[in-house]
Amino acid sequence: MKLCLSLSLCFFSFISFAQAQELSPTEVKTLLGEIRQKRAAAPQVQADFQEQKTMKVMNKPVSSSGKVWFQAPNKFRREVRGSSPSVTVSDGKTLWIHYPKFQSAEQYTLGKRSPLDAGIAAITASLNLEGVESSYNITGAREGNGYVLTLLPRAAATKRMLQQFTIRMNQQLQVQRTEMLQPNGDRIVTTYSNESRAPIDQSLFNFTPPNGTKITKPLGR
Amino acid sequence: MPLHQAISHLVTRRRGLMWLIVALLAGISIFVLVTRMKLDSEVLNLLPSGFESVEGLKVYNRDFAQVRELTFALSVQPGDVEELEEFAPEFAEMLRQQPWCARVLAGSPLETPEGMRDLQGMAVPLLLNLDPPAFHETIALLQPERIRERLQRLREEIEAGSPRPQFELELDPLGVIAPALRPFAENATVEDDQPLASPDGTLRIFMVVTNQPTLSAFDSHRLMEAVNAFRVEAQKGWEGAGPLEVLVTGRSAYVAEISLSMRHDIIVTVIGSIVLVGGVFFIGFHRWLPLIGMGFSLLLCCLVALAAGLLIFGELNMVTVGFCAILIGLGVDFAILIFGKYQQARDDGFDHTAAVGEAVRNLGRAIFFGALTTAVGFLALLLANSPGFTQLGVLIAIGIFLAGLFMMTVFFLFVPAINVRERRHWLFSAVKNYVVWTVRKPAIMLWIFVPVLLLLTAIAISPWPPLIFDASTRSMEPKESDAGHALHTIMNKMPERWEPAIGIVRSENVQQLHDQWQKVAAHWGALQQAGKIRSFSTPAALALSPRRLEANRTSLGAVDLAAARQALETAVAEEGFSAESFAPGFALLDGLAVAAQPGSELPDWRTLLPKSSSWWFLVDRYFSHDPLLTTGFVTTHAPITTQAQNEMLEREMPVEGVPLTLSGWSFTLADLVPWSQRQLIVISALMAIFEAGLLALLYRDWRLWLIQVLSLAFAVTAMIASMKLLAIPLNLLNVLAFRLVLAVGVDYGIYVLLVWQKAREVEHDVAGVIKPVILAGLTAIAGFGSLGLANNPTLAGLGIACALGIFWSLACTVFFTLPATAAWEPKAWREASGRRPEEMEDV
Repeated sequence: MKLCLSLSLCFFSFISFAQAQELSPTEVKTLLGEIRQKRAAAPQVQADFQEQKTMKVMNKPVSSSGKVWFQAPNKFRREVRGSSPSVTVSDGKTLWIHYPKFQSAEQYTLGKRSPLDAGIAAITASLNLEGVESSYNITGAREGNGYVLTLLPRAAATKRMLQQFTIRMNQQLQVQRTEMLQPNGDRIVTTYSNESRAPIDQSLFNFTPPNGTKITKPLGR
Repeated sequence: MPLHQAISHLVTRRRGLMWLIVALLAGISIFVLVTRMKLDSEVLNLLPSGFESVEGLKVYNRDFAQVRELTFALSVQPGDVEELEEFAPEFAEMLRQQPWCARVLAGSPLETPEGMRDLQGMAVPLLLNLDPPAFHETIALLQPERIRERLQRLREEIEAGSPRPQFELELDPLGVIAPALRPFAENATVEDDQPLASPDGTLRIFMVVTNQPTLSAFDSHRLMEAVNAFRVEAQKGWEGAGPLEVLVTGRSAYVAEISLSMRHDIIVTVIGSIVLVGGVFFIGFHRWLPLIGMGFSLLLCCLVALAAGLLIFGELNMVTVGFCAILIGLGVDFAILIFGKYQQARDDGFDHTAAVGEAVRNLGRAIFFGALTTAVGFLALLLANSPGFTQLGVLIAIGIFLAGLFMMTVFFLFVPAINVRERRHWLFSAVKNYVVWTVRKPAIMLWIFVPVLLLLTAIAISPWPPLIFDASTRSMEPKESDAGHALHTIMNKMPERWEPAIGIVRSENVQQLHDQWQKVAAHWGALQQAGKIRSFSTPAALALSPRRLEANRTSLGAVDLAAARQALETAVAEEGFSAESFAPGFALLDGLAVAAQPGSELPDWRTLLPKSSSWWFLVDRYFSHDPLLTTGFVTTHAPITTQAQNEMLEREMPVEGVPLTLSGWSFTLADLVPWSQRQLIVISALMAIFEAGLLALLYRDWRLWLIQVLSLAFAVTAMIASMKLLAIPLNLLNVLAFRLVLAVGVDYGIYVLLVWQKAREVEHDVAGVIKPVILAGLTAIAGFGSLGLANNPTLAGLGIACALGIFWSLACTVFFTLPATAAWEPKAWREASGRRPEEMEDV
């Protein structure tokens, strides 16, 4: 369960959209409609990111950077660069996390009542903003030229993984910063830059472990 | 003085003495009932003794705490899944607050901080119980270099974005707990084998261990009153769009329902049979005092037989509550016959005393043989080797003889000395006309009825439609049972959840317990690998080996735990981890240091596990109150319903050198199918042979013998055909109905043919007996049929099957035995009557 929680939070961290003067519910609804319209015109996005995790188990925040790709409705890829690189790939059915340095990979099966399903559903719903109102209580505010959306999960399963999710967007409705707060106090802040909606090579969402990679299934599925 | 005269003198001239005897009998019986009444609601006592699976089930139910578990289920509409998700933790908390609740399992213990902490607390003994190679491999992780390497790698994995290290650090900061728990975790697949939520999310399960003192009917009833009040209260917090169903099932729920339903069954079946039987009697004779006399005599029979039963057995099982209804249905036959004969004698001019003597003289023998065949039929229930049915058989055997005796004595205390001539009414006229017609022209009746019987026989022996044989656990459940409804709702919404077979092992000491389960786990593991079983779980990981513990402690003594502690402190600081997160790791090192000291006492893992820990649900699955009595579980690829599955399990599950008792409800019921079929075929055949011999002795006429044997055979095949056509299932226990039908059904033929042999006038003699036989048959059908009102399915199934069988026995007697006898042996009464056949035309 803890594992699922952590996984889901990691995935939330590369969600790319919006930003935070209080918006009325009608204004929030209008804003969400505009975002959806934009996403519908270009259902894929890629961006660079920088992330800072504040975790209970670590004395200091852990930083990382890299690039993220997303293709609606549920495909994504995330590459972390630096001294501890990793690649996370999901084709909507299977999720891989590959650690080249350790020549190891973790494999998670989605669906089939996987405990990860709630987390993945939350992520993809947020990326699409499809039906997001039914899963979250959403408030919004205007901040400078941009917007801030605050999402509070409705479902108990999601609440176990996520306490609050804040999205800051610029005037063009591009995500600049997201902030996730976990029920145990852990916090992940991600900032995005160089957003592009150019088409993405679909092979990026497939993953085949290189020869010699040690594969584990932490959830046993 | 002949016996019939002595009886008539006693009941007509010495009435005071008779009443005194009756009062004494009733008084003693009531005293016994009041002071010794004890009802046994144990459904297992209906199953035959001597079967290992049945005995295993009794041990499991008696000695394992799991039987004190109640399973709660919350069931909602598909649109309320998220609301249920929200409500479930609140419900679990409400359960924990109940005074009758000892523990609650609302999810996998591993998902809660408490569950994880409890598991860490048990790590030391479980680590020391690893087999030596695995122990050495695990303990090597405590080398300073390995500790440093591991923490460095975990930190790098966190930086890489892996969620796994965080989880790993929370559960197992040192990396040695996971290997120590692996054998335990392999058996802790609660969620895999017994999921706590349905796939569609509309049902959530909560397991609760109650603190009820015993599983007695009284304690179970008191608990369930509190539980049912809670169910109503708990729903008040529900805010979903659709309704919330709070279901509960478990042994206490069933025991409480069964004990209540026993009370209901006694009242409903007795009142039902009294009303039906009394109604038939009144329709037949239009007399009130004899009707009251009959009721009184039957009540006395029931009282005396119940008192005798209590004195013999000490308690009465749930099926014996059907005894009164059956006895009323059967005993009234004697009243009808004897009163019919008495009335006939009065109409013939005999005075009261002489008429009583005449009735006893004429029918005493028939009643004795009737009581004998019925008693033997019910005593044949002893061959079923079921304590419950043994009681029923003995009670009815006693009761039926008492009924025969009381109907020839006590009953006449209620018959007025002044004769009221019986009014001729439509029933008698109809019977008389039918008898005269069928005796005169038997061929017509035979041409009509024999094809019907042959058709029914063809249906009976044809494979289609099939005779339903229900050996499922549902066939043993009370009708309209809330606990049953809860169980079936759970089963329907969670079809992958079915009852496993269990293997019980009783060991002599702790080492043997360990060794035996190691062998069993290895063997069952191979079966799983071979695909013969779906999964299994055993207490192997929790069965500690004193030898292993000692050997591993010696090895542990060689490990420099102080260096390991130092290395951990340094690595935590260097890698930037929070020291607080590693507190369990340091605690484990301390525990290992204590265990490594020679002579120190290792804590029992049972004392390390808090009483409120959810892990007890797992422990209680395997361990009884006696830690040396344990059980393992084998889940098959499909629910156990067939004999082939049982044979496979009996062949594959045992392990050489390990005395394993195989059991489980589904396993046991499937195991009893051959027994049940043997009861159906062999015992019924023995009963038939006994009756054939008795009839031969009684009639000393092969033609009459053959007619009645054919009549009985037709009755049984017609009964089978009716059950097929009406889709009435046979179950493990109502197969006993066949012998009862043979025993009761034969009586009607005996009454008719014995009278036939001596008959002088068709109207007077033959029609005179056919009417009481019809009335007797109808009262027996009413008596057994009233059992169909019982909640107890065994009793209801037995009653309905018997009522059907007796109906066909009566029909065969009236529409086959009589015309066949008239066709085949017409001289017996014609010659004796001194009339010529053509004179009969006028009759």
